[in-house]
Amino acid sequence: MKIRLKLSKLSPWLAWLIGLGVVIAAGVGAGLIVFWKGLSVTNLTDLIPWGLWITIDLSSIAVSAGAFSLCAAVYLLGLKRYQPVARTATFIGLIGYTMALLTLILDIGRPDRFWHAIVYWNKHSLLWEVTMCVTLYLAVLVLESMPIFAQFEWLKTRWPKLAEKMSHVHHYAPYLAVVGLGLSMLHQSSLGAVYGVLKARPFWYRPDISVLFIISAVAGGMSLTVFASMLSARLTRRASVDDSLLEGVAYFIGWTLVLYLYFRFWDALSMTYTYQPGRTEGLQLLTQGPLSFNFWVGEILLGIVIPMVLLLYRPTRTSQLWRMIALILVVGGVVAYRWDTNISGLMIVLSYLPGEPIVGYTHYFPSLIEVFSGAGVVAYGLLTFSLGVRYLKVVDHRAMEAHVEEKELAEHATAASTILNVKRENVKRNA
Amino acid sequence: MSKLERLIIAIMFAMLAAGITLVVAQAQTPQPPQPTNSITGDSCVACHKDIYDTWQSGAHGQSLTDPVFAESWNAQGKPGACLVCHATGYDPATGESEAEGVVCTGCHSPIPPNHPTDNMPIDASPDLCGRCHSDPRFATENWKLSAHYQRSMTCSVCHDPHSAGMKSVAGAINTSADASDLCANCHKGVMQNFPTSKHAEANVTCVNCHLGFNVGTTDVTDFVSAHKAPDHSFMATLDTCNKCHVNQMHAPGESVAAAAIAIEESGGTPTPLPTPVATPTPLVTNQPVPVSPFGFAGLAGLLGLVGGMVLSPWLERLYRHLNKNGGE
Amino acid sequence: MSQPKMNRRDFLKITAVGVTALAGAQVIRRAEASEPTPSGGRQWAMVTDQSLCNGCGYCVMACRAHNDIPPEITWNPVLEAGQVGDKKIYLPRPCMQCSQAPCVDVCPVKASYYRLDGIVMMNYDRCIGCRYCEVACPYGARAFNWKAFTEQNPAVPEWGQPEVARRPRGVVEKCAFCYQRIDRGLALGMTPGVDPDATPACVVVCPVGARFFGDLNDLGSTVSKLLKARTSYRLRADMGTGPRVYYLSATEENA
Repeated sequence: MKIRLKLSKLSPWLAWLIGLGVVIAAGVGAGLIVFWKGLSVTNLTDLIPWGLWITIDLSSIAVSAGAFSLCAAVYLLGLKRYQPVARTATFIGLIGYTMALLTLILDIGRPDRFWHAIVYWNKHSLLWEVTMCVTLYLAVLVLESMPIFAQFEWLKTRWPKLAEKMSHVHHYAPYLAVVGLGLSMLHQSSLGAVYGVLKARPFWYRPDISVLFIISAVAGGMSLTVFASMLSARLTRRASVDDSLLEGVAYFIGWTLVLYLYFRFWDALSMTYTYQPGRTEGLQLLTQGPLSFNFWVGEILLGIVIPMVLLLYRPTRTSQLWRMIALILVVGGVVAYRWDTNISGLMIVLSYLPGEPIVGYTHYFPSLIEVFSGAGVVAYGLLTFSLGVRYLKVVDHRAMEAHVEEKELAEHATAASTILNVKRENVKRNA
Repeated sequence: MSKLERLIIAIMFAMLAAGITLVVAQAQTPQPPQPTNSITGDSCVACHKDIYDTWQSGAHGQSLTDPVFAESWNAQGKPGACLVCHATGYDPATGESEAEGVVCTGCHSPIPPNHPTDNMPIDASPDLCGRCHSDPRFATENWKLSAHYQRSMTCSVCHDPHSAGMKSVAGAINTSADASDLCANCHKGVMQNFPTSKHAEANVTCVNCHLGFNVGTTDVTDFVSAHKAPDHSFMATLDTCNKCHVNQMHAPGESVAAAAIAIEESGGTPTPLPTPVATPTPLVTNQPVPVSPFGFAGLAGLLGLVGGMVLSPWLERLYRHLNKNGGE
Repeated sequence: MSQPKMNRRDFLKITAVGVTALAGAQVIRRAEASEPTPSGGRQWAMVTDQSLCNGCGYCVMACRAHNDIPPEITWNPVLEAGQVGDKKIYLPRPCMQCSQAPCVDVCPVKASYYRLDGIVMMNYDRCIGCRYCEVACPYGARAFNWKAFTEQNPAVPEWGQPEVARRPRGVVEKCAFCYQRIDRGLALGMTPGVDPDATPACVVVCPVGARFFGDLNDLGSTVSKLLKARTSYRLRADMGTGPRVYYLSATEENA
């Protein structure tokens, strides 16, 4: 009898928190096992040294790209009315980059030496560049998120001066947006180039892989932002959205997907001409082999084509349900693209013995420890976002930043007074 | 207390703290072994414990203490002639030896003054081993006839000089109990066909024909008693064949040659089929490991489930529409 | 808040120029990313005569002992490389010590670096274990320490004694041409490639004398003379890595 009473008192919010808590606890446990026993508890091998964790790392950074693109749109292209959406995106970006760092700490062989990349530089290395840009951009995101944290009621009452100072950071938003744009463009495409510069892996060795990474990141990042905003608005009254804004972003995502599909099409088609050991087999793996379901259904059909149609066709774009479906499919497609890219290149084992390189294949499936720790990191992301929605008004299109509103009013006022002056002139002239 | 006095006391405290720290730090830093002039056979073990252990349990280490030798030597009145080999640095004039048994300095001498900066000297050629193993009853004379010697191989190619045993290579292809493993490791070409031969069926291994061990025994005491050593010329002569086939040499119809001809005419030695061994999925395969059709079906099923849930209102509408029309 | 002096258009223009300049600088820097090894002095090279190699694997054991390598890892595996007539041909593959090494280019912390004498060195104290070099190496010459090696090394002391420290868990390791033997030998006045104590262990232990080592800048060294006298090849030379390990083919005549 007692148990039944307790269950009935469990609100959905609490159940959600508990569920996430369980997954995070499992993740922490798995992570501790990794730190204690080393990477031998994974199914990674010398032939496939990068697996599920790197995919999660790449995907987290990709879906955080909404932050830089929306902030650039708001502060550099003057699309001020999207500022609330940019706010949500910035917060998601902060979460995403911390998720990426958590996964990386798990993945490198010596987590205690994570600081080496910041201190010991190799300017020729793309991975170094990614690490530096990610670190710097994380700092930018923290600064850009300070106004969000300044809204925290508890902070406002406990340390009002600090909250006010944090709120003032918003004045520097345009400059932060510029820096964020530069850093993001560098490292989002460099993440692709990490694969693209390796001559040893013919399937990866192409220059357009960086372009594909950044375009898919922009599409995926914005999609996650809009989807998360819409989902929060459906689930709780603490989140409120202005649907016209989100529809505008969804329309842009639709066209981004067109561009993405165009590049993917030519990228894949160009690889079908002439046999090149390693590259042709890679394409075969992707289109006909073990990865074909992921590729055709996950990446192309569900990840690009269907969302593209749904988001560009007005009736489905304006429908809440269809728009949300399209957006989550885009995010899924972006994750699938990174998994496929990583695993396809590593599955191909080229022999280096004299003569025509012989192609062999190896295989990989993540171990339970990898899955649990990865799930823990994802659950951490979901938890922080949920807490942000509830306590920090992260999804709140009513609360535009104060000074931005002033500026809008001022601009309207200037416009209005100009029109008024012209009218007065006309009246004077006509009189 | 004036400012100067305070400063002086402060400096004294600082020097005390620094001094204590320095002393403690020095105590922690392990001092590297200092080069010493007086390295004797006993002091090698301080740095080379691994080698010392293998040496001690092997024939070289037990050359004086081995019970078979000790019994025989004692019975003969401890003749000094034996100590020329069974001890290190035996001086017949004084009857004194530098050390009992074959110790490090037996092969590694003279000791350089600043070892470990300078390496210990070693003569890897058969001449060093030949100093003791050169008795005509031993291997070295025959060794010089072998193709191995012609190709500048040394004793340590097959023998571990410290344990005085055979070298072992991880993953050597045969699993024979004697030294034939080692032969097969280099002579892979020959070993391709030998395992399916009549000789192999009769449990004959490399050492039986090429070193003169009796078939079916691997006991090295075949030779050690009376200081005999296997024939290291590795040449299989007529005597080798005669060890087993002496009766077939000229027996009509039963000669070795006749047997071989008979086998040839009947179609050759049948090659036994290889025993299937359960191999785990190797790491690199010729074809990609396919996803099982059930995997694809499961994924498609999940998608169908989601799609169905999404499309259900429209499907319901369609169903009602069709029913309405059908009903009329 | 005071209005900024410049309007948005100028701000955007300046930003665009700035970002382009930054990108351009990156491109230029990337173009010189693969500087070849600074040359001069000695240039070590290794030559393996495939007509002599019989695949015995002694070099594997000696390498394992002298460099304290765990049994799961092989710095210098002996691979089967086809057949000539009815004789099987083998190919021992150490690290190629490329003059344009992909691993040096991609290491984020410069734990892999070129030495003036051409050896690609590993700084095991700096490596963070990201395994990018492992992914980038076309020869699969690098191995990651998935677990710590705490047991007794089975190859010691039969095949030699460890001359370098054991690597900890979580770093990538590879063959380094036994630089410890080379450096020590040079300090004692020996010649690597001639004096066994100054030559890599795999070259010394080979029972058939199929491996050679020496200085390519010394025209009188064994390796220089061999490469001049006989046809040699390198692995995947088409990739432009500039390996320093040469192989003398086994032919019908000399196999």
